[in-house]
Amino acid sequence: MTSTRRRTIFALLLGACALATVLAVLSAARQDDPESGDSAAARDVLDDAQAGGRKAVVFRSLDRDRPKARGEVAVATVGGQPAAGGRTLTQLGCDRVYFAAGRGICLARGGGFAAGYKAKIFDEQLRIRHEVPVDGLPSRARVSPDGRYGSVTLFVTGHAYADAGSFSTQTTLIDLARGERIADLEDFTVTKDGVQVTAVDRNFWGVTFAPDSDRFYATMATGGKTYLVVGSVSRRTAHVIHENVECPSLSPDGKRIAYKKRVGSGANPWRLTVLDLSSMRETPLAETRSVDDQAEWLDEEHVLYGIGGEVYVVRADGGGQPRRFLTGAESPAVVSG
Amino acid sequence: MYQVVSNPAALVKEHRRLLSRSRFGPHVSRTVVLLGLTSLFTDISSEMVTTVLPLYLVYVGGFSPLAFGVIDGLYNGAVALVGLASGFLGDRFRRHKEIAATGYGLSALCKLLLMTVGTAVSAIGAVILIDRAGKGIRTAPRDAMISLSTPERQLGTAFGVHRALDTTGAMIGPLVAFGILAIAPVAFHSIFLVSFCFAILGLGILTLFVEPKPVAREAAAPARPPSLRGSFRLVRIPRFRALLIAGGALSLATASDAFLFLALKEDLELGTSLFPLLFVGSASVYMVLAVPMGRLADRVGRGRVFLAGYVLLLGVYAAVLSPVAGWAVVVAALAMLGAYYAATDGVLMALGSSVVPQDVRGSGLALLRTSTSIARLFASLAFGALWTLWGMNVAIVCFGAALAAATVLAAVVLVRTPAPAHD
Repeated sequence: MTSTRRRTIFALLLGACALATVLAVLSAARQDDPESGDSAAARDVLDDAQAGGRKAVVFRSLDRDRPKARGEVAVATVGGQPAAGGRTLTQLGCDRVYFAAGRGICLARGGGFAAGYKAKIFDEQLRIRHEVPVDGLPSRARVSPDGRYGSVTLFVTGHAYADAGSFSTQTTLIDLARGERIADLEDFTVTKDGVQVTAVDRNFWGVTFAPDSDRFYATMATGGKTYLVVGSVSRRTAHVIHENVECPSLSPDGKRIAYKKRVGSGANPWRLTVLDLSSMRETPLAETRSVDDQAEWLDEEHVLYGIGGEVYVVRADGGGQPRRFLTGAESPAVVSG
Repeated sequence: MYQVVSNPAALVKEHRRLLSRSRFGPHVSRTVVLLGLTSLFTDISSEMVTTVLPLYLVYVGGFSPLAFGVIDGLYNGAVALVGLASGFLGDRFRRHKEIAATGYGLSALCKLLLMTVGTAVSAIGAVILIDRAGKGIRTAPRDAMISLSTPERQLGTAFGVHRALDTTGAMIGPLVAFGILAIAPVAFHSIFLVSFCFAILGLGILTLFVEPKPVAREAAAPARPPSLRGSFRLVRIPRFRALLIAGGALSLATASDAFLFLALKEDLELGTSLFPLLFVGSASVYMVLAVPMGRLADRVGRGRVFLAGYVLLLGVYAAVLSPVAGWAVVVAALAMLGAYYAATDGVLMALGSSVVPQDVRGSGLALLRTSTSIARLFASLAFGALWTLWGMNVAIVCFGAALAAATVLAAVVLVRTPAPAHD
């Protein structure tokens, strides 16, 4: 090949790439609005379920048949076991979602250059009322049973979880009515066996609220171990009550905690387990695959959890077999009838 | 006797030549500049994807963060071994360019695959693995080409020019990615497409314009291609062994950027949104100093500049430990970190290039790079464990003591082995 020829080829390549880039950016800008759901219809589903005394699930839809609606929040009525029927998409696009007592948290990327994430707080009309900027990559979101407080957990290392060993999280409590940050759990006074924990490597994640919404449970990690802490939002305190507990989720009756227990190493370390808070007895559940999710109680007997973009249900007493509950879904929140 | 230049045109031409050299910086071969541009475009491409990959995985959903971290670690180990193989194959078939092109091509292909494999977690994991393999394949033959097309006395400068261009690309990539995200928040496929375009341009420069021509055939260059055993014999060269020991020992005492940045972030109580500024700060210094440090290494001795780089790293540790917090300390730390990279990364390859015979250059540089990166992996694990058990200050003090010892050891082994003229 002559050098002129090479230059011509490269010029063509350059032109093609410039064209492709312009087209890609233009089409991205035009397709910015993903397939939009119908929040009014979704509200009707929630209202109908409530009127009929049935449960509904609010979740993040990962429906393979509707790729443009990926990440949209959807609602579905729980009819029998497992949930049958379709889903109704809302107009909210979120990476994590939770909803209780008419208030919801949607963790989504903000707009603009080098945008971070935002905790968008929405009401029972599924309208966004407040936005609280947060740092990091979305991990967990929870709302207290009375809708007063919310909590979000984000991964906050520069290159996220790719750097093994420099894993760190930030958990923030939010007043949902006012849309204001209350505190980070790092600011709370935490004790273990009566001694204050002051280690700098303290990390908190996965908050779950008691019905009074002031009492909460969460995971604290320090020195390579994880602990279950119970605390008070108003007193800004917490203390350790158990070891090896991640992502706790309090049962509706407030007596048991479903959580991830670390039982192995490598890529599949967690066993979904239920802890009885009065006897401190642990019951491993029938799901034998590793679960990296904060479980959600469907009712007093069943918990929901996500694996690989599907939501499953399993009995909370260790019996039965796990079954698929929702296809193409994650981040489920059960709304009681 | 002086020669009088009577021809004005020739005089002007000579002046221009002198001026152009001083004005446009160091004179390095066309191949080095072209390889630098290849790396620049490829780094724009790969950093675009690296920047948005965590966001994409969260968006795609169903990805366990921990699983990703573990897989990522395994990949890095596999890549080191791939690098050794590609270095050797480049020597064996005298086809450094073709093997490097395979590596660049694989990584380019992965950007297209990311667009088309959909959202299945295992498929995305497989694409990331192929991408890393591509990176592992291309590095050693590329460094071999840089060194083979450069006269021995300019090796430091040549690697400096390459690293400066490479780092420029690494800084542009995230800007392009965030620029597209600012226009459209979930335009991941557009980002992958644009990233593919940059990768193709890099590959185009390599395949169309790079013509590797060794500057000088060594007098005793063997006619037969080197065997695997021949490549292993490299470690019998005392000076090369000294470099392996020095590079390995120093790397074992090197805390990864991620940890240093975290420590600095705690010093400043910096928000996560400003956290990337730390990376930008040190990378800018690296970019600016890569060429001057390379030239300095060629002039005053590469071993000296290399060791001075690690003294700068000690300075970074001291700054992190310093009880005085604030912007001034952080800026000083970032400047020293950037200068440390400029004084060590390319310079180590220049040191290696000057002792490894031409016919096994790829294997030699791959061995040097692989041993230092494996040592760094161990260092990261050790640092993480120290940090978890006893906190950041203890970890830094331990690494500081180890680094001081390693620097002394490196100085001793480098002084004891006969150095080529410019080391």
